[in-house]
Amino acid sequence: MTEDEIYRTSTQYRLWSFTPQTLASLRSTTNQLAVEGVKSAIQSKRAEARGEGGENGERANARSVSPEVDCLTVEEEQRLVGYYCLKTMEFANFCDFPTNVMATAVQYLKRFYLSNSPMTYHPKEMMPIAVFFATKTENNYISLSKFAAKLNNTTTEQVIAPEFLLTQGLRFTFDVRHPQRGLEGGFMELLALASGKGQPAPGIEKSSMELQDEMVNVPPAEANKPQARTPGEVKSRIGSVHDKAKEILKTAALLSDAYFLYTPPQIWMSALLLVDEPLASFYLDTKIPKSSPMRSKLMITLRACMETLQSSPSARPGKDERAACTRIDKKLYKCRNPDKLDLVGMNQAQKRDGESKDGALDEKIVKKRKLERENSMKEGEDVFGPPLPKVANKQEPP
Amino acid sequence: MAVSPLPAQNGTSEIKLSAAKAKSLAVRTGSMSKPGNQGAATAKAKGAELAEQLNEETRQKYVKGKKLGEGTYAIVYLGHLKDDPQSLVAIKKIKVNTEYREGLAMDAVRELKHLQELSHPNIIALHSVFSSRNQNLNLVLEYLPQGDLEMLIRDVEGIRYGAAEVKTWMGMLGRAVWFCHENFVLHRDIKPNNLLIAADGEIKLADFGLARSFSDPYRGMTSQVITRWYRPPELLFGARFYSGTVDVWSMGMVFAELILRRPFAMGTTDINQLELICQNIGTPNEENWPGVTKLEGYVKFDNLNSQPVKGRDFYLGTFGLIGSVGVDLLMAMLTLDPRKRSTARQVLDHKWWATDPRPTAKRDLPRKGGGPAKMGEDLKRRGGEIEDGPGDKVARKLNFAAR
Repeated sequence: MTEDEIYRTSTQYRLWSFTPQTLASLRSTTNQLAVEGVKSAIQSKRAEARGEGGENGERANARSVSPEVDCLTVEEEQRLVGYYCLKTMEFANFCDFPTNVMATAVQYLKRFYLSNSPMTYHPKEMMPIAVFFATKTENNYISLSKFAAKLNNTTTEQVIAPEFLLTQGLRFTFDVRHPQRGLEGGFMELLALASGKGQPAPGIEKSSMELQDEMVNVPPAEANKPQARTPGEVKSRIGSVHDKAKEILKTAALLSDAYFLYTPPQIWMSALLLVDEPLASFYLDTKIPKSSPMRSKLMITLRACMETLQSSPSARPGKDERAACTRIDKKLYKCRNPDKLDLVGMNQAQKRDGESKDGALDEKIVKKRKLERENSMKEGEDVFGPPLPKVANKQEPP
Repeated sequence: MAVSPLPAQNGTSEIKLSAAKAKSLAVRTGSMSKPGNQGAATAKAKGAELAEQLNEETRQKYVKGKKLGEGTYAIVYLGHLKDDPQSLVAIKKIKVNTEYREGLAMDAVRELKHLQELSHPNIIALHSVFSSRNQNLNLVLEYLPQGDLEMLIRDVEGIRYGAAEVKTWMGMLGRAVWFCHENFVLHRDIKPNNLLIAADGEIKLADFGLARSFSDPYRGMTSQVITRWYRPPELLFGARFYSGTVDVWSMGMVFAELILRRPFAMGTTDINQLELICQNIGTPNEENWPGVTKLEGYVKFDNLNSQPVKGRDFYLGTFGLIGSVGVDLLMAMLTLDPRKRSTARQVLDHKWWATDPRPTAKRDLPRKGGGPAKMGEDLKRRGGEIEDGPGDKVARKLNFAAR
């Protein structure tokens, strides 16, 4: 079984890898569904306010007479989610969580919003649970109360309420494969090559010493930079390349769609190419010869991935970008699905339905019992008592 | 795997699966590529978010049957595909605990995370996951009606087996553990009653409630894992940096138990477990295990308990059934120093597998047939529990504070 075959069994490949086309169409479907939901919910809220008819009839009508609601476009949704991905990074770093918790939390948000819209669930409310859930799945669990204490004005209940929604949006797959570990491996291999201990891939007839000599002659990344002359200088070159590539993996790789479109090794190789193309090419030479058809195929993919990384939203958004997000957020205020505003309430209602041991009763049940009480009071006034119950009309027990 | 520079996806075109593969994918998880699916489930959930629709579609695929077992953590039902009553599955419903305010329990998080990724003939298959009303998670698992390995071991009167059968079972366990480690997952609760038996005799490693991915260098893990009788000495000494060889020790203990037909070392406390290891296998010291005295929870044993590491003669006398080559393998798995202990890969490369007798064919393995109820019993447990034994609830709670 090759590494590639194993990767193909992962959920990241099976469920979370797309072509640019399928990714775009998925997002547009999600947006359309959300728009429908928003319009229909707003319509029935308005009908309720006008006091028209029963709930059921109105819902059906709602779709035919769509109210004028200015909904978010796919692009606006994307920018808003991107902005909250940044917030997620800031928050995870503020909490001193390790990089894998931060990176996984960001991917959870991105994955969640492939099949959910910010118009239905605001990213502000999903952000804390994405981080908290990542602490569970990345073996960095801290108690909910400690976690909530790190957030301003947020209760434990507010953090945990959307947990189920998140796991459902993640399709109950929690493993995220990051490119960081691969980068560390590549970095160690590069250092070994610089020390004259490197091993080329089978089929490449070069000794460790030859490779070390070649490495000293790799031209600098930028023409005006001085050439690294000694193995020591090469090592410091590798060190700085490593730091810069790591930074890309912590920012652009997470904020762009790279994880949806490319595999972890493709992502870190592309980061390496972006930082120091001559060195990255030399490293590839020790793996796949330039003449191999696989190499040119690989380069096409890597170039595309480099573009994805380069066109990523900035990790330090300027004034304009922040202003744009504020504008989108304002617009969102008017097109949020009114049925999904109270996540805490929704969560409690569902839990109560499942477990009524804690004594809290569902509103429906309370209403029903009140009605029954009133009825029996009325019937009690009848001297002949209530009519005998007919089996066929017997109500289902709650 | 991440170091492989080969493109796993050829550009992005390879994501188009063959029709057959795509179909099986759809059965497993519902098809995300067809959100506009006009199925009955979709119609019902109209206006709902895509995620809810997919969940509903998955839920509609299965029919829940009778209850097989109930524990504090889960209820296990027999179930089948709606379209095919012959295709039996076990549905493990994770109970929502209203007392537990931390959301989805860690056992469930761990089990889901890892079973979703691991697909291997000797690891219990997770077909799909869906939620019923009230946010109850339902894991649709492979149906394994033949009980577990512990039942076979204990039934000394009814079940007879020899070296060839032990070889078949150990081979299947070895492949399961190797595959976990190859995917960077530590199981951390290997024991006979987590080894379930399929209708065709295949052994399946189950219960990933204590599993985790390999840690990054310099980041410790908890030592409070693995049911005591199967826990290696480094964990009993509180080691927080450990490797896949913790699972190999457990495997060695299962190996020994298969031959003895009782657990090799049944400690009543962690210290007692260490004493038993000292007496039966050997006392760890700086000579046979450099660095052991520096472990956080290292305990020095007095001369009474200080035993040299048992040699081949002892093993041949006690475990003669598996022959001298088999004994070599057992000793390699029960090596005190985790750095000298065999890895899962080395276990599979051992020459015992190629030595006579040949392993028994699956269909000729002895079977007891625990029946569906036994699977219910096995699946409802939490990690680290043994029923009614002194080892009960050993590693039930992970100590997250001691990171």
